[in-house]
Amino acid sequence: MEQLTKALTSLFNLYEANRAPHSIYKDEAEFHSYYVLLHLCSDNQGESLSLWFRHVPFVIMKSKEMCFARRILRFFRLGNYKQLIYTTEAEASYLQYCIIERYISEIRALALSCVNYGGYKLQPYPLTHLSNLLMMQESDLESLCVDCGLQTSSDGIGKVLLSTKLTSSCNPKREYQKYCELVSERLERLAAEVSEL
Amino acid sequence: MAAYMSMGEAHRRIAEYLNRFYDAVSSQDGKSLSRLFSISSDSSLQFLADALNTFQDANRIIRQSESSQYADIIVPVFRALQSYRLRNLVESYLAFEKAANAFVQEFRNWESAWALEALCVIAYEIRILAERADKELASIGKSPEKLKGAGSFLMKVFGVLAGKGPKRVGALYVTCQLFKIYFKLGTVHLCRSVIRSIETARIFDFEEFPARDKVTYMYYTGRLEVYNENFPAADHKLSYALTHCSPLKEANIRMILKYLIPVKLSIGILPWNSLLDKFNLTEYNNVVLALKRGDLRLLRHALEEHEDRFLRSGVYLVLEKLELQVYQRLIKKIYLIQKQKDPNKAHQIKLDVIVKALKWLEMDMDVDEVECIVSILIYKNLMKGYFAHKSKVVVLSKQDPFPRLNGKPVTS
Repeated sequence: MEQLTKALTSLFNLYEANRAPHSIYKDEAEFHSYYVLLHLCSDNQGESLSLWFRHVPFVIMKSKEMCFARRILRFFRLGNYKQLIYTTEAEASYLQYCIIERYISEIRALALSCVNYGGYKLQPYPLTHLSNLLMMQESDLESLCVDCGLQTSSDGIGKVLLSTKLTSSCNPKREYQKYCELVSERLERLAAEVSEL
Repeated sequence: MAAYMSMGEAHRRIAEYLNRFYDAVSSQDGKSLSRLFSISSDSSLQFLADALNTFQDANRIIRQSESSQYADIIVPVFRALQSYRLRNLVESYLAFEKAANAFVQEFRNWESAWALEALCVIAYEIRILAERADKELASIGKSPEKLKGAGSFLMKVFGVLAGKGPKRVGALYVTCQLFKIYFKLGTVHLCRSVIRSIETARIFDFEEFPARDKVTYMYYTGRLEVYNENFPAADHKLSYALTHCSPLKEANIRMILKYLIPVKLSIGILPWNSLLDKFNLTEYNNVVLALKRGDLRLLRHALEEHEDRFLRSGVYLVLEKLELQVYQRLIKKIYLIQKQKDPNKAHQIKLDVIVKALKWLEMDMDVDEVECIVSILIYKNLMKGYFAHKSKVVVLSKQDPFPRLNGKPVTS
């Protein structure tokens, strides 16, 4: 991803050096959207996105690709795990998804933290429902709970997440690919199309 | 167009400038010397420029004058003036840069700080001339690189001033000129090294610097903190700038408030409408109203209406993140309405009621997303209580269910 960021930076410099007034290049919006998605997390921002946005032409900011990336950014910054996962599954291009994928485990861990902290302990959260929201296999979700130090149980119907009001955020002890992938027919189809190329 | 001037008059004006230069240096009159370098800002120097364009052999007069020892400075200053008058802005910059370099060489040799004011004028002029030169270059399809060059020159000047002697009080002014250059060029990361020098080097005592420079410095470093969303530091620096800015400088106050307002909003402090009106910051009116009302639709509308302006100033993402406080306010309003109807049940809010309230605001969210938002608000301590998934209800704490931020940002 670091190489992609460097390549994009060089590309943007080329765009600027060759820019004709009031014009943008064919795939420029798409490449700008990748830059935003590569910088969802403020920790890995060399230059903050706020600074970077100042110099992006407005017509690119309003493009379809950038509007998608900006929405994902908003969901990530607000912690809206439901919309981030849902919107990614519904609208991301394959390459956009590949970039977002590395944040998925983090957003899922955030979801678990929120449910654990704010959930009613006498109504433990069903993992089936949560796995649908987070678009992952229930078994992977259970495994993620364990890796995050959270307790699950069985309520007779299925597995549930117990609310123990942990104040520290959940961080999976190990980075597993299974915690990053979205279970999605559309994204599987996109992946298959790419591998056929 | 240059006004008509006789050769005699032209000679007189050139000689007058040279006399003023010599007198200023020999009597160590920094103020008088500084006036002789204000190429872009002193309109009286235009007459000198006309004189130079008329006389055409000023070098002879310089050689014959008492100021001849400063020819390395004066010759290029004259060329810069002439070029500026003829609107050859690139030539003007190049000549002025040469003069500035020669001046710095002399400045190093003067032990006291008497010429600091002149150096500051040169620092200012080199930036302005560079900006105008770059505009000229861009207009003819060439790469604008003079402002970058001016930045390099000013870094050199900073190095000259960063010493133990009395000249060090000029360092903050030069720093501020550098900030203006880096912000204009978008190379804001270059601010880091000068900031580090000012804030950590033992030779500098921040309180020694002139008040005006401290305000400018805190304004720019405050802006950097806003971009990095370090709100406590941004609040401290921008508030310093606001408190110490002259109340007569309304344009400067407006500039500070433009960044301070989003910071204050992020830590739960709302400005009076009268403040926004007085300083023409009406782009924030609806943002503030949205926060007061819990109106998510209004917040999004306000961001869209002034999107370009907020993006250019770099506060868009800060304002967007106020959504969480707007959700908090909306749910608090529902709670207060329920409290009026039945105080015993006010603390239990059905998620469906929140869905309906959002629908009324034309925000289409399902109960899962509302539950997600509620869980985030509780997790970030914007709400106290818990949510019951099966019952689809949020149960608020009876004690302080909607904690105020009280000057601290939302928990990240």
